[in-house]
Amino acid sequence: MIHNLAEKVVLFFSWVTTLVLGLSVSIFLGYLLWKGFPSLGPKLIFGQADPLMAVLGRVRVFDGIFPAIAGTICLVGLSAGLALPVGVCSGIYLAEYAGPGMKKLLGILFDILAGIPSIVIGLFGFSLAVFLHRHFSSRVGPCLLISAVSLAVLVLPYIVRSTQRSLEELPAGIRKTALALGASKLQNIAYVLIPNALSGISSGVILAIGRCAEDTAVILLTGVVATAGIPSSLLSQYEALPFYIYYISNQYSSRAELSQGYGACLILLVICAVLFMLAYGMTKHLSYRTLYRA
Amino acid sequence: MRASKETVAKGIFLFCAMASAVIIASILLFMVALGLPLFKGGAFFSVWTGAWAPHQGYYGIWPMIAGTLWIATLAMALCLPLSLGASFVITSLGGPRLRRMLNALVRFMTGIPTVIYGFVGIFLLVPLIREGFGGAGMCVLAAGIILAVLISPTMVLFFSDSLQSVDPANVQAAKALGADRVQRLLYVMLPKAFGGLASGFILALGRALGDTLIALMLAGNAVRAPHGLLEPARTLTAHIALVKAADFDSLEFRSIFACGIALYLFTTAATVAVRWIERERMMVP
Amino acid sequence: MAKKFIQMLVSFCVLYFLASPCFGGDALDAFEGQKGTVKIAGGTAHIPVMKEAAKRIMTCYKDIIITVAGGGSGVGIKQVGEGLVDIGNSGRKPKPEEIERYNLKMFRWAVDGVGVVVNPANPVKSLTKYQLQEIFAGKIDNWTALGGADHAITVYTRDESSGTREVFWNKALDKSALSAKALFVPSNGAMKTAVANDPYAIGYISVGYMDASVIPVNLDGVTPTLETVKNGQYKVARGLYSNTKGEPTGLTRVFIEYLFTPEGQQIAADKGFIPVK
Repeated sequence: MIHNLAEKVVLFFSWVTTLVLGLSVSIFLGYLLWKGFPSLGPKLIFGQADPLMAVLGRVRVFDGIFPAIAGTICLVGLSAGLALPVGVCSGIYLAEYAGPGMKKLLGILFDILAGIPSIVIGLFGFSLAVFLHRHFSSRVGPCLLISAVSLAVLVLPYIVRSTQRSLEELPAGIRKTALALGASKLQNIAYVLIPNALSGISSGVILAIGRCAEDTAVILLTGVVATAGIPSSLLSQYEALPFYIYYISNQYSSRAELSQGYGACLILLVICAVLFMLAYGMTKHLSYRTLYRA
Repeated sequence: MRASKETVAKGIFLFCAMASAVIIASILLFMVALGLPLFKGGAFFSVWTGAWAPHQGYYGIWPMIAGTLWIATLAMALCLPLSLGASFVITSLGGPRLRRMLNALVRFMTGIPTVIYGFVGIFLLVPLIREGFGGAGMCVLAAGIILAVLISPTMVLFFSDSLQSVDPANVQAAKALGADRVQRLLYVMLPKAFGGLASGFILALGRALGDTLIALMLAGNAVRAPHGLLEPARTLTAHIALVKAADFDSLEFRSIFACGIALYLFTTAATVAVRWIERERMMVP
Repeated sequence: MAKKFIQMLVSFCVLYFLASPCFGGDALDAFEGQKGTVKIAGGTAHIPVMKEAAKRIMTCYKDIIITVAGGGSGVGIKQVGEGLVDIGNSGRKPKPEEIERYNLKMFRWAVDGVGVVVNPANPVKSLTKYQLQEIFAGKIDNWTALGGADHAITVYTRDESSGTREVFWNKALDKSALSAKALFVPSNGAMKTAVANDPYAIGYISVGYMDASVIPVNLDGVTPTLETVKNGQYKVARGLYSNTKGEPTGLTRVFIEYLFTPEGQQIAADKGFIPVK
């Protein structure tokens, strides 16, 4: 009897909670679309400036979010560029060369890194900037470069883990064939293993890119400001989309600005959602054929 | 020829791995080194347990620790049942089409940026709480609810993965003996996946403790420890984001490194706990 | 077809070369030939003026980049002292030890008041200094005690490095205690938004920031407005300072001088402050 009751309760409870979750997401997204959709358009991004001129860099944009979008793109590109080689190489080392003791040690370290709150990494970046400023060159301060390095540290575990995992999951048959035919270990890795593990590695990379695009805590401490125009140099301060949204939520000065904030939310949402969906899609469908056109 | 290329390549890979390890260790080192002056002079305990009033010389981060614990606990309390129920439906209780749809929905939700949750929370949830429950609206409750919604998708995915990785043979055996969906779930899958569920819970807890923006935007950032759900609070993470103004060499500034150390220790403990649970699971045949 | 294409090409070229209309007055000519970056950070009250000046300068001169950040007066002074920014704004006069330590040069280009504000829906529109101190100390905690709605008073405040807070605490609160339950906001703009959105809020902002979304509170019979600050009736006032480390040179010097030109002072007046000239 009691068993029967417990089972019924669990059934009921599961459906109710799923409903609650689904409802909250729908309300959330619906509200965002309702408030943000009216403000979408060239004016949101470029303000008073002509779109073509702004993209070419001839005209500065003051009332639109174009500088923030440009800042985010530069930031993401830079940090991915820094994290990718180091992450993939570390993953290859862990999967192919490391002994069990080393694997365990590095495994723990990367797990710890993955668990560290992003603001602590931002703090690390800020300390690095102050340290370099005092002991190295007074031109260095919180800037695009420091933010990119901090973000690279933030997303490193994603890339390392996904590379390591996808290499380790390759079946023994694929692993050993080339070796049996006389290829060296390096050749095996470069020509057989990596292409076969490409989908897993790419999904890790794309996840990392998505994380860089949405992160706010790290950039808060390492160089993002409210007004800077498009990034002019590696050592300059810059704007970014997530920070823009935070700033608007905090101190908007008119209905129009608030509407812009909602619009910016939608744009950021679309960027991140697309990246994440791409990552999940890639895990299953990308094959080495795209690399080798065989 | 080939041999030297091999060694060079291995050297590069090793270097990268070592560089990563060095970075991780140096994060902790930096914080301890920079936070050290705060602990000298017998102030060690007062930092962790005292109140925060820099103008009067009190650099205690206890209110922030309390704020973090209040908000994280509330978020986990709300998030656990939600995620558990949803994962039950996704893994066994729902029909195949519903499962696929929910899976896609949850996957989509993990991609929503944190700042957007905070943004909607400020304009949708805070006024509701203010009118419905009194107080300022910006309180532990607001931050806890939004944080729970933020963490749920990741937890759901993790729980679903654990439930689904239970050996199908066991589930089939139960089915052969006449167990229906709910019974298979409750008596076979759940007990066997318990370790995985525990890991998922702890990882989500780590995430709740370490989130910055939700608390920064929604919890009011008052300097006193909260005494109730409707009171404002400040978390360790929000504190770090707020105290940018002080002198780099002042004790006020050093307090953020104390916060950083506390966070580092909390989340490292969570990570180690998860690894330990996983190891225990592997031992059981 | 070809004709249309040529029309497009011509209009493109015209736009390309006339891309930015530059209606600069004489004051902006001082920037002719200058290039480089000016980093500004600090007081949030100064931000509207900084942004407007930056916009005018950058529209006319492509080689100049001006970045503006907030953070509060404390951040401004610290960062300019450490050399992280070129100009550090503060809403209070830098302390003697700060001036000495960082070799600060101060430039006061406007005067501003700090007034208490409440939400437009709040019937309580005037307070005595004593009531104000009791509210901010947390002793009076419900609006009914003052004739308003039956709801707890939400006190908003700034962090301790804020110049606005310092002036308010010194001159309006007479250095009395501040409730530990007060909610923190990081800037003048954020304070205004918070009070405008919360019907039971009370806070304090720069007079230049006040607009229709908040109601200034009459303090001991004086309402904080531009006029009352100007004629000295409203006592809670402060200068807006831009500080540099040592004497400013190059682009930074030209920018600071611009703030004192008639055009620069007009920007300050437009944004709700009292120009010093």
